[in-house]
Amino acid sequence: MVEKVKTIKDVCCPFCGTLCDDLEIDIDLKTDQVVEVRNGCQIGTKKFFAANPSDHRYEKPLVRKDGELVEVTWDEAIDKAANILVKAQRPLLYGFSSTECEAQSRGVELAEMLNALLDNTASVCHGPSLLAIQDVGASLATLGEIKNRADTIVFWGSNPVHAHPRHLSRYSDFIRGYFRTDGRNDRYIIVIDPRYTHTAQIADKYIKVNPSEDYELCQAIRAVLRGSDLDVKEVAGVSIEDIKELVDILKSSNFGVVFFGMGLTQSLAHHRNIDTAIRLTTELNDYTKFILIPMRGHYNVCGANQVFAWNTGYAYSIDFSRSYPRYNPGEFSSVDLLMRDEVDAALIVASDPGSNFPAASVKNLFKHPLIAIEPHKTPTSAFADVVLPAAIAGIECEGTAYRMDKIPLRLRKVKEAPGESLSDKEILERIIEKVKEKLGE
Amino acid sequence: MEEIKLKIKKKLKFPLEADSITPDNFAGKTVAEIKKLPLYYATKKVSIGDFFDITGKSTEISKTKIIKDGDLSNVKRIGEKMTGGEIEINSDVGMHIGNNMSGGKIVVNGNADDWAGAMLQGGELEINGDAGHYVGSAYRGFWQGMKNGIIKVKGRVGVESMLWAKSSKPANKWPTLYCGSADAFLGIHNHGGTIVVEGDVDRCAGADQAWGNIVIKGKVSRLLPSYKKVGEVKEVQLPNGEVIKGNFIEYSGDHTINKESNGRLYVAA
Repeated sequence: MVEKVKTIKDVCCPFCGTLCDDLEIDIDLKTDQVVEVRNGCQIGTKKFFAANPSDHRYEKPLVRKDGELVEVTWDEAIDKAANILVKAQRPLLYGFSSTECEAQSRGVELAEMLNALLDNTASVCHGPSLLAIQDVGASLATLGEIKNRADTIVFWGSNPVHAHPRHLSRYSDFIRGYFRTDGRNDRYIIVIDPRYTHTAQIADKYIKVNPSEDYELCQAIRAVLRGSDLDVKEVAGVSIEDIKELVDILKSSNFGVVFFGMGLTQSLAHHRNIDTAIRLTTELNDYTKFILIPMRGHYNVCGANQVFAWNTGYAYSIDFSRSYPRYNPGEFSSVDLLMRDEVDAALIVASDPGSNFPAASVKNLFKHPLIAIEPHKTPTSAFADVVLPAAIAGIECEGTAYRMDKIPLRLRKVKEAPGESLSDKEILERIIEKVKEKLGE
Repeated sequence: MEEIKLKIKKKLKFPLEADSITPDNFAGKTVAEIKKLPLYYATKKVSIGDFFDITGKSTEISKTKIIKDGDLSNVKRIGEKMTGGEIEINSDVGMHIGNNMSGGKIVVNGNADDWAGAMLQGGELEINGDAGHYVGSAYRGFWQGMKNGIIKVKGRVGVESMLWAKSSKPANKWPTLYCGSADAFLGIHNHGGTIVVEGDVDRCAGADQAWGNIVIKGKVSRLLPSYKKVGEVKEVQLPNGEVIKGNFIEYSGDHTINKESNGRLYVAA
């Protein structure tokens, strides 16, 4: 019998920060298309199917001529992109979180060469976590340790049932671990959220906090933990009795973990929410083992922070304008730069600021020349002057990615990229070569 | 006092980094020499003469006064690390004005952008308008921010002003901020800083304060639950010797740091 389908096992899923590494993909050998995905969640599975050729994928480089995007050769597109970057006085390189580490590293190289501004999507997602960690440190662990040991799990401002669908079954809730042999029955799940989310519905304890008052609640928990009797009866919609009960549960656990998401990092107090949450876990270590882990969104945003940090010393919001790296979120972070209209050209790699930045900043982004390295049609690429079609990292090319607990995993190639698409790394390398030529280096 | 006048010639598209504009750098130099001092515009190294018209002359650091006119709202880092002399700015001014300065005086007759007087080690910064976020704060990752000196802001200060301020009793250093009103997280992680606010303050004033004094003559929109009422007082004695009279409710905190706290928050009764 002639084999029609090839099965590839142990594939990493390039979607969310959970980075599941047990997927099985069936590829039709005749058409080189994904026909079946096993073990993946709904979202991850969709990402593999979206890699198949479709109307939404770019297959050839495009350059805007007389207002229309027209197909050109790779040489022409790279030349045009390099021209834009070399002419710009203050170019911004943004994105990088949905591609692999080697490409991110080339991004740093290009930024340094151009004295550009360099940022990744952490600046609109878990950047505040990094700021807080720089202020007060953090006690972390790997997800494997949590799977084997954790008996008290707090999800604060995060909803893994929807955002990280397999997190609960692989690391934090249903999974049986070495010391948690009965899985779900051996763990106590607490959800703190303004909304009664689907994660809250499967929890043992749900605490409803008023929107944007997480900071006050966490301060009250810490004060109670210190043994203070507070003047108030209720904090952020939670009674003092409930807070005392929660503190008792946290103190009496064997190994506790706080998973926090954008509910903390992007509500009003931003990094101060994380600051106080970190200090809570630090203080809980006087009684028991307690750690915290940010629920990273993009599968390799953690890798972007790692790669930027080991190359420049800083994880995001980096400015090379004085030839050496400087760091200051608020001054050099993309949204703030665009709001003040301080950027005059942008290169967007594997990201879509057009659909998730504030409208005023997107308006300023689209005013100036824009280059997009992007496999799919997005609101950003629709307004780009140069579109460079990329192979999807982790599906159509290999690479390394960092899981949310900073564990590097190898991404696999399961199929060929459609049309003339190249990997992000190759595209950036070709731009670097051309820029070098134009700068006369 | 000898005066040097600078007037900006161009409208700026990108921020201009002017850390060389300090009395220290200007002292003892002729106008022609001052014109050659470096500035940074976008990715280019330029000189003061490219962007400013200069008149006047300078002598010693302590006797040099720099007066700046024109729109400076996009000029950053004026007076960085200055140790003496005076700067007067008759316009709005960009980020990082007077950061790390250890002596002298800066007067801004307009609004200042973020990080005004960040990491101040001494001297006086006076802003006769509003100031941005992080006034007199520590830069990212520093555990000790403003250590001495005085910042006076007539209008409002932004969020997280006086972050990680640090006093020293043996060295008699008392970092102090006077302001009209303040945004959220005023004096967060305070380790001995003194803050006096004439008007109202937004949420979370004095969060995680280890010790120090915050006096608020107006209202606080949301007092932290980890602060406890001590009593009522008729006057407040500040560590720099100043006495503020009025009816205040005295709170101790932040009790997240310690069960017994030396931090004090006074809010008008």
